[in-house]
This record gives sequence, C-alpha cells and structure tokens, in this order.
Amino acid sequence: MASPEPSPTSAPASASGATVKRPGFWRRFSRHRLAVLGAVILALLAIACYGAAFVAPFPQDQQDLLLGPVPPSAEHWLGTDELGRDYLSEILYAGQLSLSLAIAVALISTAIGVFVGAVAGYRGGWVDDVFMRITDLFLVVPAIALLALALQGLGPSPVSIVIVLSLLGWTYIARVVRGQVVSLREREFIDAARVIGATHQQVLMRHVLPNLSGVIAVNVALAVAGAIIVESTLSFLGFGVQPPQSSWGNMLSQASGLIGTPKV
Amino acid sequence: MRPLPSQARSPRSLRVWMAGLAAAAVVLAGCSSGTSSNPSTSSSPATSASASTAALQQGGTVVIGAEQEPDCMDWIASCAGSIWGSYMAQVTTIPVVYNVRKQGNDWLPQISSIMASEPVVSAGPPQTVTYKLNPAAVWSDGQPITSADLKYTALQIRDGKDILDKTGYSDIKDIATPDAQTAVVTFDKAYAAWKLLFSGSSGVLPSHLLEGKDRAALMKDGYTWSGGPWVIEAWKKGESITLTPNAGYWGDKPKLDKVVFQFTADTAAAFQAYKSGQLDALYPTPQLDAIDQIKAGIPGSKIQVEPASGNLEALWMNNAQPLLKSVAVRQALSYAIDRNAIVGRIYGPLDVKSPAQSFYPPLLSAFGGQDFSVYGLDLAKVVLLMTADGWAKGADGLWAKDGKPATLTITTMTGNKRRELMEQVLQQQLKAAGFGLTIKNASAGDIFGKILPDGTFDIGIWTLVTTFPDPGLSFAFDSGNIPSDANQFSGLNYSRTDVPGLNQVLATVDTATDPNIRLAATQAGDKLIAQSATSLPIAAIPNVLLTLDKIGGPTSINPSEGPFWNLEQWGLVA
Amino acid sequence: MLRFTVRRLLYSLPVLLVGSFLLFWAVRTVFDPLLKLRAIRDPEVIARETERLGLNDGIFTQYGRWLTGFLSGDWGVSSRTEGSVRPMIESALTVTLQLLVWGVVFATIAAVLIGVWSAVRQYSFSDYALTGLSYLGLALPAFWFGLVLIQFLAVWPQQAFGWDKPAFFFIGLSSPGQDPSFIDTARHMVLPVLTLTVGLVAVWSRFTRASMLDALSSDYVRTARAKGVPRSRVVWNHALRNAWGPLVTVVALDSALLIGGLLVTEQVFSIPGMGRLFLDSLLAGDVFVLLPWMVITGAAVIILNLLADIAYGLLDPRVRVA
Repeated sequence: MASPEPSPTSAPASASGATVKRPGFWRRFSRHRLAVLGAVILALLAIACYGAAFVAPFPQDQQDLLLGPVPPSAEHWLGTDELGRDYLSEILYAGQLSLSLAIAVALISTAIGVFVGAVAGYRGGWVDDVFMRITDLFLVVPAIALLALALQGLGPSPVSIVIVLSLLGWTYIARVVRGQVVSLREREFIDAARVIGATHQQVLMRHVLPNLSGVIAVNVALAVAGAIIVESTLSFLGFGVQPPQSSWGNMLSQASGLIGTPKV
Repeated sequence: MRPLPSQARSPRSLRVWMAGLAAAAVVLAGCSSGTSSNPSTSSSPATSASASTAALQQGGTVVIGAEQEPDCMDWIASCAGSIWGSYMAQVTTIPVVYNVRKQGNDWLPQISSIMASEPVVSAGPPQTVTYKLNPAAVWSDGQPITSADLKYTALQIRDGKDILDKTGYSDIKDIATPDAQTAVVTFDKAYAAWKLLFSGSSGVLPSHLLEGKDRAALMKDGYTWSGGPWVIEAWKKGESITLTPNAGYWGDKPKLDKVVFQFTADTAAAFQAYKSGQLDALYPTPQLDAIDQIKAGIPGSKIQVEPASGNLEALWMNNAQPLLKSVAVRQALSYAIDRNAIVGRIYGPLDVKSPAQSFYPPLLSAFGGQDFSVYGLDLAKVVLLMTADGWAKGADGLWAKDGKPATLTITTMTGNKRRELMEQVLQQQLKAAGFGLTIKNASAGDIFGKILPDGTFDIGIWTLVTTFPDPGLSFAFDSGNIPSDANQFSGLNYSRTDVPGLNQVLATVDTATDPNIRLAATQAGDKLIAQSATSLPIAAIPNVLLTLDKIGGPTSINPSEGPFWNLEQWGLVA
Repeated sequence: MLRFTVRRLLYSLPVLLVGSFLLFWAVRTVFDPLLKLRAIRDPEVIARETERLGLNDGIFTQYGRWLTGFLSGDWGVSSRTEGSVRPMIESALTVTLQLLVWGVVFATIAAVLIGVWSAVRQYSFSDYALTGLSYLGLALPAFWFGLVLIQFLAVWPQQAFGWDKPAFFFIGLSSPGQDPSFIDTARHMVLPVLTLTVGLVAVWSRFTRASMLDALSSDYVRTARAKGVPRSRVVWNHALRNAWGPLVTVVALDSALLIGGLLVTEQVFSIPGMGRLFLDSLLAGDVFVLLPWMVITGAAVIILNLLADIAYGLLDPRVRVA
C-alpha cells in the first residue's frame, strides 16, 4: 500500500512522537532573550580566546623583563605581570586552555553519565543495581579530596585534569538520566517502537535519548561552568594547571595572593 | 650536614620555602639559649636602625603568625626537621653549646652561656674535644646542666633509631665525663665541623628527665621542661604554640608574659590578619605575593629585610646527563643565562641587586669567593664553546650534535611562583642562545624522594639552606656522595658533580682542625666548582621580618637561629 | 520503616567495603608509605619498617590487616607526626562539625526563605534577581569569595572606622592566648561560615524554589486556597511541608560531603579541620591518615543519607510504604 504523500511542512509526527523539533527549538531559544544574550557572550568569549592569535594585543608569553609589572595603561589595557607579559593577552590565551579543558570535561562526563544512566534505567534489574552502586561509590568521598588525591598520583597536567574531572563528574547526570529513562520506559511510544521491531539499541538511541536532549544540554552547560570553577579551586590547592601553561584558574589563584594590595 | 626531609606542608604551595623544600639543606638550625647577657652579641645592619630605644613595658602578649606547624617536637628524631618548629620552640627552650652570632661582617659560632669557656680541641689522633660547662646553667626545674646531659644527648643520637641527622655523632668513639662540668668527646676520625655537635639541630637534652625513658613519647607533643628563656605552655595542634617565660632561667628573663605562634595557612589571609592587628609579627616566605603585599606598604609596621641569609637558590645541573656531562656545554649554559636580569626582576623588589657568585651563602661569607662572577651573559662565548665542543646550530636555531638537538628539561617544585617565573625567563634566555628548555615540574615529595636520588632530571632549581656557619660542602659536591647503590642512595650530591681534584680539597675542609688550612681549602674548592661550572648559583634569598610598631626591642633576623633568636628581648612599647 | 532502614544499610555496607578497598589500593599505589623515612636515608630503618608494616604482603592481606585494625579501633600511627591517627581525626572532625552545623543551619534558613520568596513570586523581578545572585554564588570559587569577604567585612570596616581590631576575625577559630568566650568564637566563625554558606544557599534555594513550585501547583494547595485558607498559611504550612522532604535529602547529602569538602574554607581561614588534615596528610604522603580519613568521610555520607531517607519518610507519609 502506497503511503500518502508526506507533506514537507507537516510535523514529523512519527510513531514515537519523540524526534527533536529543531526549528521549534531555535525559535523558542531565540525568543528567550537571556539565553540569546548568554549565547552571544559565550560565542564572543570563545572567539576571543581561540582567536587570541589575531585578537590579543601581544603574542603569547612575550616577556619584557625591563618593563616588569605595570598597572593598566593604554598599551597594556590590564597591565602586565612580573615578567612584563600583557595580562589581557595572557587571559585570552589562558582562556583557550580553560575553555578546552572545561568543554572536554563536560562532553566526556556527560557522555559517560548519559550512557550509564540510560543503560541502567532502561535495562533495570541487576544492571541497574550494579551501575547505581558504582555511582554511589563516587558519591561517598568528597570529590575535591578524590581530585587532589588523583592529581597527586597522576601529576597535574591538563590531560590528567580532564580525565580525573570527567571520571568524577559523570555521576550526577547518570542519576538524572536514569530517573528520566525509568519513567520514559513505561511510556506508550517505547512499547510501540518495540512492537514495530526496533532493537533495544535503536529504542535507546532514537526514542529515549532525543527526549533527554534538554537535560543533557543543560548538564553540558553547567558542567563547563563547573569545570572552570573546580579547576580554579584545584589551582588554589596547588593541583591545577601548572605554569608555564596558564588557565583562568591558576591566574585567579595567583591573583588571590595579592588581595589587599593596590593591584587588586 | 643533611637534607631536611620535611615536606612542604602548605598546599598552595610548597611555598613554604626552604625549610620545607630544602632537600640539600644543610639544616642544622641553631639554638639560642639566650646569650643576651653577652655584650658581643651584635646585630645585623638591618637591626641597628630598628633596635628601638623606646622604653619597653614588662609583660604583655604577642601573637606571631607562623606559616608552618612542626610535625613533632622530638627535635633529634626524623619527624622533626621543620625549620619553623626549630625557630619557635627549639631555639627558645633547648640549650646549645654554640650560638651563631654576627662578629664583624660574618656570622660565626660563639659559645653560649651554658659554657664556662671555649671548648678545647686536640687534633690527635684521636681527635678530642673537651667541654667545660657553666655551673650556673640550670634546667627549668633547677637541676644543673651537666656533662651527663651532653653524654646522654650524644649517645641518643649516635645509637638511636629514626634520628634526623647523625652527622658527626656517628664519628664519636667515646664520651667521658670526669666531672659534672667536664665532658671529653673522642672521635673515631678527624672531624673539623665539631662545633655542630650539641648545637644546630640537636642541642643538649636533660638526661635527668629522659634517661631510661621513652624520649620520643616524652618530647614529640611538646615538653614542659626547658633550658632556655622560655617554656612551652601549650601546643594546640593545628592552631598555636604558646610560650611563657622560664621562671628558672639563669640568664636575663623575657620581658613578655606570653608569646603565641598562630599557624596561618594562607599568605593573603595572613597579611590581612597582620594589617588588621590579629597578628603582631610575620616572618613570611619571600614569595612574590608576599613581596607585593610588603611593597604595597603596611602602615604602622616595621619591615626588616635581611640579605645575609643561609639560603642559596641555584640552578643545579645534572652532571651525569649526556649533554651536561660536557664541561663546555655547562659553561656555555652559564654564559647563556643573564643572571643579572633574572635577579633584578625576580628578587629586585627585595633589594637583591646582584647574583650570588659562590655556593657559599651570605651566612658563610667568611669562606666563599667570587669565582662565578666570570659567568655573565655572553652569547659570543656560548658560540665559541659550543662550536669547539662539536655543536652546530640547526635550522630551528638550536644547537645540535650527531643529529641530537640541545634540549634540556628544568624541574622545580610545583606551586613556587618565584621559581616558576624564573623557569619561564630561563626558557626564553636559553632559546635565544640556542638551547631548548622544557619545564617539567613535580611535587616536592617526588623531587626529593625520587627525582633527585634517581638523577632523572636535567636542570633543577632548589635552595641550599645552610643554618650553621660551617663550610663543609662535600655532602653536595664530593663524587663519593653521588646517590648510588654504594651509599644506598643516601648521598646528597644530586648534581652528580665529579670534578678531578675536588674530593681531596673538600676532604681537607672536613677534617682540618686548623682554621687557616680550612679556609684555603674552601676557597680552592669554590674555584674548582666555578671553573667546571658544575652548577650555577643564582641568588641568596633574603629573609623578611615584619613587626607592628607596638613591638619594641632589638628585633632582628639571625640567619641561623631565625627571627625569634632573641625573643626574650622583645617587648611591648610602653 | 525498620525493614527499609535495614535494607538500606545492607546496600550501603558493600559500597563502603568496596570503596574502602579501592581507596586503600589507590592510596597505596600513589604513595610510598615510607617516603618520609627514605628522606633520612637510613637503609636499616626502611627494612625494619617494611617488615613491621608488612609492606611486602599482597594487597588483600594488607587491606585485611588494616581493616581489622581499623574496626577494632586501632587506626595506626601517622607517618607525618608519629602521633596516633584517631585523636587527630577526632579533633579535626569536631572542628569541622562546629563550622558545618552553623553553616548548614544558616544556609537552610536562607535557602528556604529565598526559595519560598522566589517561588511565590515566580517570574517577578525579585525572582530573577535572586536567580541571578544564586548563579553568582555558584560562580565564585570559595577561595576568592573567602578573601573578598575578609576584605569587605573585616579589613575595610576596620580601616573606615579606625577600630583597634576587625569586627570579624579570620585566623583560626579562637583568639590565641585568651580564654575562649562565646563572643570571640562567634567573631571567628562568621566569615568562614559565610564563605561555606554562599554556595549552599545558591543550590538549596534553587531546589526549594523548584519543589515549592511543584507543591504550589498541586491539587491540595488549590483545594486549600479554594476553601479560603489564607495565602500565607497555605504557603508556609501546606506547601512548604511537602517541599521539605526533598530538601532534607539534599541538605543531608551536601552536608555530609562537606565534612571532608571544606578544604578551601579551612585553608583560607587557617582552621584545623578535616580539610586541612587531608591536605597536610596528602602533601606529606601520610597514607596512615588518608585512609581512615576517607573511610570516615565516606561513612558519614552513607549515614547521613540514611538519616535523610528516614527523615524523608517521617516528613512525607507517602514514602513510608517503601
């Protein structure tokens, strides 16, 4: 039997009813002024940092020992550090590392968390039990302590920071996703999909996960912010990104030593 | 002479500096037991201006910020070794045979008031030293300080387990006590640095209180007896150490009623606490943030910078590393580095104008030369030396030989901002001279526990801390002390220095009891080290003491005994 | 209720056991228990201590021995201070709990007030303002916020008014060399408690707002309103009662994690609590303190979680059947 002509404009109300409505998403998003503002700021920041080679007034790590530390001036908008390096340029270059680090952490930890949470929630039974006990394990000891311990062991390189932060950061989203999946599992469209012969994998990928896109997007955004903050805390404790590489975290923690002086 | 094994303990840092970080530290912190009555006690130049003549009131409490808490107060045991512990509680309560005092321009050992006269050395063999004690010297319970105390202390260290530093004591053959005031120490072999015994890190312990008992248990959490001007009233772990005057002290008694050392964990917060009057004095590690705080000005406060310290920051080259094995490469590196620029920028704010030109820090100014002054920035010399050694510059601007580029790594403790900045300057300077330099920092524990003993570094920055004016350098430069299986990796010659003829010269320094022979040998040694450019001294790091104006008295820094060596003379301005 | 509690406990035990073994393994892998002794370079000592501590045994044997000792109250001796570990942890725990109790009390009150306010005035200007502030609270690293507080609340007022001492102290929890007094302790507590509170208020107020919105839109609230119960009573009695349950869970879990998680606050304010103990031990490679420390903080999380679940059951009768 020939299927009726699919009208290109009609909403793709498939059996699952769960595909992401992209145009709708963008329309809704663009109506939310705060969200747009946030996105624009983020985009500008990312462009400034990743395009630092073009944007920054001075090359990375250009020292001027004769100049030394100077307060903000027309030439150095934010002043210079002890070695005469332009702070503005350093902040932009540090942003490359901070943003990359944070985005990597956010993506990896969300990926792990979504995988674990979805599988645990969808399969249920012993799989669920085992996975959730593992997440419990991670909840038991303060993350900052585990972080410090792990970084002491691995050495504080950006790669190990990403690995450690990701491995510790996935449990939250895993719990959230599991909760959502457990409730989705019981919904009619999942049954429908199973009935028409979709495999578990297909159900998860096509029908369950798209419904979680909102939660996942929010988590990625929060995780990026969280990772930047955690990295700065680690820097304060001495386990963050190490010079000569600089990140926003280690610049901030170094600046904290100056509080109470006219430089701050 | 031994490394200070204690770990850096403030997290942000490892900024606890030498004390914490020093590995190759000649740490034998002195112990003042109050020679305040001795008129020849001279003060440093920084002091003379500040030795306020204002009248001091009797009594009062002073709170001093302390960056580090000692792990234990069993000073001779391996858990001790915190330089702050020694400054706060050891120097103030444990009597010593030799204090370190400034005489003329130099810091020299000088007998303390527990001694009746200068000990008499007989070169032997066997070498002996005869000590005559002052009958007036007593412990806080009124018992006299006797030769039995010297004997007890010496044997505890020589035969004890888990001892921080047995140097010298392990060479003691026998100690005789013909009477209560006389002790005669006989050595197995000649030992020139005998003035370190019963001074420095050990001092003299009361045998009548400790003999036959568990010394560690009685001392490690603090003790109530004293042979100095103060007694330890309380040690609240994590919070503070409180000292009160020793009522039974035989010398001048303290003016203050109470001194509290309060532990501070964060530099910025400590400075704010000082500015706000919560802390009356600070002795900050001269890290860059501390320097900025000081430069920003602290009203109502006296700032003393003492350049004559025992702290020598140096660039240590691993002489066993394939590239650095070559004298020419080491010399070329020494010519490639502009030490003047580094020192001016990084230490300049603390008024350090010129680089150190010897491995003897200012505390040992009586011994060192100026032999490293030949090394200044001279790129022509670098080219000359490298070309003669068979190197040629590649397309990337780096020297190369047999297809291998001249790239090295540099290592220091993570979190030490001053050294991290120095590394970045070196990176640029060496790049300009055709050397690649990669920064590869590690934690203090790893550096002193693994990297230095194993020799898995190329160039390192660490501080040599000398706390007693004795010129022995064999521990760091004698090829027999290169860490190896033969010495169970216990050697401290981390730079793997092996210069022909140097061992003999250093051995003379260690064994000659004649001061003139010793002096000639130290100078010859300094010259040999400089000529072969085994490592490169950068600068002596000054010490800084901040006191609020309400504190009077001759406050000053003793590079050996620390800033609280004459705490009994401190007082509140009336 | 009892069955529920027992089941939860049975679930938690293997987690704690496996967790402590993994930590034991990790700590042993990362640190050399004899690192400090190696620094004094006496080979005899190393051999003796290796023998005494049984460091050559298999990891399971070592773990078993450690666990037996730990359970029987023998927590070992710190390699850093050579003192008993147990009193060290006990005193640090006391200090941290002192700080934490005040912090949690204040944060809960503030969070509930803010959360209820925002929920009742959803989408109003004050709702947006409070939302913005809570994000700011989340975005401030504690070390920075602590130092800023010191500057704004202690140093500047003191300079502005020419006081002899600042209104609030920020080194330790008591003035040394003085007899402890309530006022003195309070003046020391304000700044660290505020520092640790800000992040908590940010999270918890969001949480309260969400569960209040849920409760306010529920049928029984609408019913109550329809019956003419005054609005304030509906908010504070009906809605909030039902919003409490989830909040208690979050508060308990977060507070439990903070027992070992106040590293930064304790560092900035020089407070000898669990966080400082951890950092000091970590930097000294003191495995003998690190392990009991982690097990204690882990157990605290599990116990408080359990208590929270029980409290949840008591607050919300619907859960009791579980």
